[in-house]
Amino acid sequence: MTTIKILVVLFVGLASGLAVGSGFVAFLTVLGVIPRLTQLSKTMKMIHQYEWAVILGAMTGVLASLRDPELHISSYFLIPLGITGGIFFGMLAAALTEVLNVLPILVKRIRLDGQIIILIMAIVFGKIFGAIFQWLYFVHH
Amino acid sequence: METTIYIRMRNRVQAEPEEKVLLKDVAQIIAPEAVLSNIKTMMVHQLTPKDRNIVVIDVMKVINLITDTFDDCEVQTIGPAQTIIEVTFKKKGVSIPFFLLIWFLLFFGSAMAIMNFHDDVSMKSVHEKIYTIITGEKDAKPLLFQIPYSIGLGLGMILFFNHVFKKRINEEPSPLEVEMFNYQLDLDNYVIIHENKESMKRLNDDD
Repeated sequence: MTTIKILVVLFVGLASGLAVGSGFVAFLTVLGVIPRLTQLSKTMKMIHQYEWAVILGAMTGVLASLRDPELHISSYFLIPLGITGGIFFGMLAAALTEVLNVLPILVKRIRLDGQIIILIMAIVFGKIFGAIFQWLYFVHH
Repeated sequence: METTIYIRMRNRVQAEPEEKVLLKDVAQIIAPEAVLSNIKTMMVHQLTPKDRNIVVIDVMKVINLITDTFDDCEVQTIGPAQTIIEVTFKKKGVSIPFFLLIWFLLFFGSAMAIMNFHDDVSMKSVHEKIYTIITGEKDAKPLLFQIPYSIGLGLGMILFFNHVFKKRINEEPSPLEVEMFNYQLDLDNYVIIHENKESMKRLNDDD
């Protein structure tokens, strides 16, 4: 009986992992963040390595969130972690904005062709401001 | 001898209101030297205030015009089947208050959006957890992680749109420019069908 129970639990765990994992990569693919990065850096050939980076990163995240490890290393490791994590989220947010197709319409409405950069900068600074405001002030009130 | 005239309609041209639109404005033409200048200066359309701001010239109209004037010629068309004439009225500048309004709309809008997102995905507890994983200590304000994260957030967006304050990383168009182009293409397609009376003829019109 226990064997069957274990098998069922194993199966359900595997199935849910499969669903979440495939959803995660599907999301990344739709937003096109990885192609964008390879296009910027002209490293199309390394695309498989990038796939592995995403998979290994996700696995590390799973491990970190399920097992609560503690590494006891210098807190300055947090700076590169924060920057890279932030850039990734920033790209996700930018891609989402772009998918929603808001900016082309807005730019056309206010006849600002050729100066979308100003509107993008509004969004970029807004994001940075919002994030810093949240961490410095908002969450503690 | 029968002469062959090749024409290729331009996609989009701009014209002043009340301007006489000539054939050379709306199309590229290859024709024997003898008739070329004559063809080039044919008037295709006289813009009137009634035309509003968009006029579509169909290639059929152009062929009709040419074959009416020159009897023994063959017209070959290449490329798009119509030209969109955009009437440019006196160009209105961007109104500054309106622009500022939108700028701050976007600024505070995205600030709000990112805060909601962080709250929604419990970003705070994740940050605290990462801090604990790395250092082994607990801190309710892991700013060492959060400030670089916040700046990185902006950097990532700039990277995605490939605009480092107008300086390009490389020459490829940014996704937003492609998106703008697609949007313009969709608009043009709409205009081509809807402003061109010939392409939307009703067969059983009761009116």
